Amino acid sequence: MTANPSLGETLAVLLARDIADGEKVIIGTNSDIQLAACNLARRLQAPRLWWISGPGGMVNPTRDHLLSTADYENLESAESWMDLPVMIDFIDWKIHFFDFAILSALQVDRFGNINTVVVGDQRKPRVRGPGTVGISALCGLAKRFYVCLTRHDRSAFVPRVDFLCGAGHMEGGDSRERMGLPPGGPRLVLSPLGVFDFVPDSKAMRVRSISPGVTLEQIRDSTAFDIVVEGMPPVTTMPTDQELALLREHVDRRGDLRRKFP
Amino acid sequence: MTKSKIVSVDEAVAEIPDGAKVALGGWIFNSQPMALVRALIRKGSRDLHLIPAPGSIAPDMLIGAGCVASTVCVFISFEQFGLAPHFRRQSENGTLKVYDLDGPAIAGGLRAGICDLPYMPVPDLGTDLPKFAPEHYWPLPSKPGERRMLAVAAVKPDVCLLHAQQADEHGNVQHLGPPFFDAMIAQASRRVIVSVDRIVSTDTIRRSNHLTKLPSAMVDAVVEAPFGAHPTASPSLYRSDEAHLKDYVKSSASAETFSAYLDRYVRSASSSAYLDTIGGSRLAALAVSETNLK
Repeated sequence: MTANPSLGETLAVLLARDIADGEKVIIGTNSDIQLAACNLARRLQAPRLWWISGPGGMVNPTRDHLLSTADYENLESAESWMDLPVMIDFIDWKIHFFDFAILSALQVDRFGNINTVVVGDQRKPRVRGPGTVGISALCGLAKRFYVCLTRHDRSAFVPRVDFLCGAGHMEGGDSRERMGLPPGGPRLVLSPLGVFDFVPDSKAMRVRSISPGVTLEQIRDSTAFDIVVEGMPPVTTMPTDQELALLREHVDRRGDLRRKFP
Repeated sequence: MTKSKIVSVDEAVAEIPDGAKVALGGWIFNSQPMALVRALIRKGSRDLHLIPAPGSIAPDMLIGAGCVASTVCVFISFEQFGLAPHFRRQSENGTLKVYDLDGPAIAGGLRAGICDLPYMPVPDLGTDLPKFAPEHYWPLPSKPGERRMLAVAAVKPDVCLLHAQQADEHGNVQHLGPPFFDAMIAQASRRVIVSVDRIVSTDTIRRSNHLTKLPSAMVDAVVEAPFGAHPTASPSLYRSDEAHLKDYVKSSASAETFSAYLDRYVRSASSSAYLDTIGGSRLAALAVSETNLK
């Protein structure tokens, strides 16, 4: 019998399940969960997944444990790294080259726009975040993206992000296309409380499944906008023993996900 | 024969005036030009306008030491150790002017600077960035049905500070790992100052000339600074010093503790005294080896 999965492990498994074989993926820095999801998917249904850590330009770094994507040690384990100026053009401007990006954020809003810049006014913020880097281009131009948050409260799930640095469905409906962005946008938002997607027409965020032991009231209380609920959403299918065993033996041998995201 | 470009770290930064636009090379915890940054702080620089490549302690320490009036922010982060402490505090106090730029704006801006163009066109990605940095982004005319475009302003640093692994006395600079944005930043900057972990002969440079990312004509000054990127990594030579980075974040909790940090590691120390303060066994443990591969 495997021990219960930690939050980080659960999120990595849920993301890994949504990845198809042969897809091309980009993740950012400080991305333990995202990195684990990619390397786990390669062990499961997607052995030909091709993933790149944008900033370092490194392709398919593989170890049996997690390393900060900002570390040179990760570059050392990659199949290739690209010169950044070339890499930037490649990741920024090739529309739909990437099947998806996995991002985290300070805030996500009702239409899946994200913010990694500031909470509050940019000129005197309440929280100053790390900045935008390639998020504008990845959200705008990848086929789809995922938002992975390790907290779910009213300061993170907001009606409108304080600083839009990655375009989701903009103002909802067809506003993203009207802005001139190619089709795409956020597919899933994952949090400790559940998994969320977007209503096809209105593009408003809705509850897709609920984490075990969590109630709809809890989700509503922790979300600062009216989240769409259709019927009674199912309980999220938690990681199986096999998924957890693969994750712990081949992807995260040092247990970083358990330690950092209990 | 070219005159040697090798100067001391203090000589290298002596000519950087207060108020200069200073670009910083490297990438997050790699190749931050720390020996040069510490020299700028010792010199008492004021009112600098920073243009950092995605960075960590180099911009943050300059901001914390009171050297900075404004900074461009593409990405300034301490990653697994949290948010950049001084960048964060001074932004939140409203005492630091921050120009938020995305990757397209810094890459496009540097390219415009390199090509002597006033701006580069980039597709409008629908963000709030132009609203908060209108000096850097403005709309370009487009016909109905065409993709919406923005201009991103040319970025032209007065001087850039870079760190690489080796160079010869003429200023042929070699990167033994990823050069990140360094070559682009150097081309866009009026003056180029590079610290290197070691000086090698021109014969050594010639034998592996594919590693020369900055040819001598592009480089104004070279500083020999062993472990000059510490506490960040110098790819292929030494790894980042995580304990020191953590200690820096902890020391940044209050003005008193940060002042003590600066006294210990920056203000009273020449570059060699800095290495003595860090300690030989500590530095030796960072040297790249299969036994300390993380």
